[in-house]
Amino acid sequence: MNKTAPVEVYEPFKAGLPPLTRYWRSLWTRRSFISEYSRSELHEKHFDTVFGQVWLIINPLLLSGVYFLLIVIIAGNSDKMRYAHLTACLFLFYFVNHSMSGGSKSVVKGGKLILNTAFPRIMLPMSAWLIALIRFLPTLVVFFVIRAFMGLPWGWNMLWGIPVVMITGAFALGLAILISCANVYFRDIGSFLPYFSRTWLYLSPILYEVKNLKPKLRTFELVNPLFSMMDAWSRAIVHNQMPHLESLLKGTAWALATLLVGTYFFLTRERDFAVRV
Amino acid sequence: MSNFQPVSGEIAVSVQHLGLTYTTTIDKRPTLKARLRTMGRGTKHTRVVRALDDVNLDVPYGSVLGIVGANGAGKSTMMRVMSGILPPSQGRVEVYGKVSTLLALGVGFNPSLSGRENVLLGGLAAGMTRKEIADHFEEIADFAELGDAIEAPMRTYSSGMFSRLGFSVAVTVRPDILIIDEALSTGDAHFKEKSLNKIKELRGDARALIMVSHGLGTIREVCNEVAWLHKGKLIQRGEPNAVVDAYEKFLHVGKSAAINEDI
Ligand SMILES: Nc1ncnc2c1ncn2[C@@H]1O[C@H](COP(=O)(O)OP(=O)(O)OP(=O)(O)O)[C@@H](O)[C@H]1O
Ligand SMILES: [Mg+2]
Repeated sequence: MNKTAPVEVYEPFKAGLPPLTRYWRSLWTRRSFISEYSRSELHEKHFDTVFGQVWLIINPLLLSGVYFLLIVIIAGNSDKMRYAHLTACLFLFYFVNHSMSGGSKSVVKGGKLILNTAFPRIMLPMSAWLIALIRFLPTLVVFFVIRAFMGLPWGWNMLWGIPVVMITGAFALGLAILISCANVYFRDIGSFLPYFSRTWLYLSPILYEVKNLKPKLRTFELVNPLFSMMDAWSRAIVHNQMPHLESLLKGTAWALATLLVGTYFFLTRERDFAVRV
Repeated sequence: MSNFQPVSGEIAVSVQHLGLTYTTTIDKRPTLKARLRTMGRGTKHTRVVRALDDVNLDVPYGSVLGIVGANGAGKSTMMRVMSGILPPSQGRVEVYGKVSTLLALGVGFNPSLSGRENVLLGGLAAGMTRKEIADHFEEIADFAELGDAIEAPMRTYSSGMFSRLGFSVAVTVRPDILIIDEALSTGDAHFKEKSLNKIKELRGDARALIMVSHGLGTIREVCNEVAWLHKGKLIQRGEPNAVVDAYEKFLHVGKSAAINEDI
């Protein structure tokens, strides 16, 4: 008679992935948790107030101003293309960076929720990623205002920015998932992260453009996923050119690989989190 | 899940040969630095705690099962396995119905948010829809009798207010199986009585209730079956008075007033 009842069976998990369709379904029914959780986190940081939002815009502006000054002092030239490139790439970089730093804390911070509720844990880094995305959007608006003031030409090729943001977003999500999982096992990752991301910033074509780089230094391209993404982003959104197909393909490959590896690690280990956080 | 009707006497939860081992790191915080430092020295990083050992237990619908046992006996651990939070290390747990754990709705997990927001977030995490939560919210707030405090950040709550909200959420969402782990202990006399009445009411609905408590008086009063866990093993299970008597004898405390009073 009770055969129709929803039966939940809990058994020792074998190493490996949980049943994926089941996992996906329970993730899907809870999807509004991700947006609500992000909203409440933003609320906690006062990003839903007027001053909070002004700060979200002023902060990246100040940052790009400082870096621009640095370039002018070091390189001695100030070209508005360069400023536009710097601003656009810096904003995109901070999207990836915030996604990483928010993701690293996400699982450990959700300790109480993890101990008392059964839900797909992957929603925690996903929320951190969504927060980073929400913080990224106003900076994009700022960039377009700057761009308009500079009188740079607009055109259809700028639409290539959309796939580039999608690729970078997938990459950032993969990173957030991967790091949130690693942070459960190594709690000090968060303290290494600032040094890591600072180095990454300097090694990516953000403060400089790819075309100014000595061919010898272009080997970075092979190991740095952001290299092709930043190049494609700058071409599309600053120069109004079509990005190299190669950059797009490379970026997609990096993004998919990171997302797959991150999700795999997370899913195979997440059932362990409740006894570890 | 809504078309499922619990039938009195049918199995709600079946625990078979359940074993659970916690593996914890010895360092307070596992860090990369610590791992690098101890690398090559062959130091063990983990401590193993056997929290549950070959436990067999069936809980039918329409019954209230009390669980007693000393601190660290594995009661909370067993509740976590039943609600799917911890995967078992051995054995198997079958659950026929929707489970709600007291505090499972994540109430109070983010102390800087208000009670209302915590209820919403916890409910969403537990798989409820916004509408379901909104529909129940008035009822939850009424039952908890928190007044305006429901809009205040939860860090301003007293521990009794915390458990009031937790209990209200757990009983209001009408789970088929309700698991209550000690959270009534901080309520005042008025709320204790109210929650006991609620528990009796739910018992009438042919739901299954599992109650962990150190308040042996309450256990005797509301449960129709009691299980006694000790160091991860099921020592005895059966008629409440018999099991509780045996447990009290074991504790060498007799029927002192102190135990009977608390929930
Ligand atoms: N997260 C954890 N990591 C490691 N060991 C744990 C963890 N949680 C509980 N334990 C251990 O498991 C055993 C059972 O703990 P549990 O919390 O289930 O006890 P309990 O019966 O609920 O006790 P109490 O009456 O104090 O609530 C204890 O020995 C405890 O040390
Ligand atoms: Mg306990």
